Amino acid sequence: MIPLMRVAAVLATLLAFGGCANRPARPDYSQFRSEAPRSILVVPVINRTVDVNAPDYFLATIARPLAERGYYVFPVNMVKSVMSDDGLSDANLVHSGDPRRLGEIFGTDAIMYISIERWDAKYVVLSTSVTVELNYVLKSAHTGQELWKNHQLIVYSPQANNGGGVAGLVANAIAAAITKASPNYIPLAKQANAKAIDLKGSGLPAGPYDALFGKDAADY
Amino acid sequence: MSNRTLLLVVATVSLLAGCVTNNQKYDWGKYDASLYAYYKDPAKAGELSAALAAVIEDANSNHAKVPPGVYAEYGYLQMQQGKNQDAINSFKQEAALWPESKVFMDQMTKVASTSAPIRTSQSSPP
Repeated sequence: MIPLMRVAAVLATLLAFGGCANRPARPDYSQFRSEAPRSILVVPVINRTVDVNAPDYFLATIARPLAERGYYVFPVNMVKSVMSDDGLSDANLVHSGDPRRLGEIFGTDAIMYISIERWDAKYVVLSTSVTVELNYVLKSAHTGQELWKNHQLIVYSPQANNGGGVAGLVANAIAAAITKASPNYIPLAKQANAKAIDLKGSGLPAGPYDALFGKDAADY
Repeated sequence: MSNRTLLLVVATVSLLAGCVTNNQKYDWGKYDASLYAYYKDPAKAGELSAALAAVIEDANSNHAKVPPGVYAEYGYLQMQQGKNQDAINSFKQEAALWPESKVFMDQMTKVASTSAPIRTSQSSPP
């Protein structure tokens, strides 16, 4: 009882001073700072999962958090269609290409390369878990250099949120049935994006349309 | 029980302490929901177009800035419907509002003014 209380107290102190728990090692922002990109082009997303729809569905979640961080984000659906019309729909080819060429075509400062590593639901007898795993790499469209990267793994398992007992089992069975009928990855993808982009210390520094643009060096 | 309560308080405090900032700069309306619905069912291009038009209308009537990319997405759907002049107007709005888009918007304006209405795999029936 008491040790747990003490742990909680220490944790509270750490949080109060550190701002955020589990902060990863601070990434190197020097290249990012020297370029200070204003605009981000999200190119076709690499899909390493068996769900062929994952890249499209994911695309519907990414423009908003980047724009809210203060960047100009190129129209994701229009970019996808235009690139596809120009024979650039193969995400693997686009990701291995020279960022500077795309930079010239679109006039962007930076390019966001995202790959979906996992986008699946696992069914056990009475419970289920939904997993989304993503890799983000932002490269300069001027120099081709990497400016920032992030990795997110989000697992949602309904049974973790329920109490035990018969009522819990029934609730799990219902949750599993719903998830099985139509697993909804969107809330997880949104959560992954928020953690990747917005977390102090590891996310993207504020963009030019944010009041903190160029003033958040203490955090990034 | 009290341990749990304490941990809960700690968790709440850490959220309030600003681990994740959540201040909205723009009113996106149904932008992401209708883009998702459109990817699920390409026949819903009309709904997506209406949602984008609503975002633009709301922003303009509230004297707020139309979110980045929204004029352009709307213009591209207009172009897919063969309304190239409307599309050009939308592209010009995007470029005026967001100078970062000018290179791309100028190019698309050129495409829309010289080519016949385009059809992409997303808009045409199989």
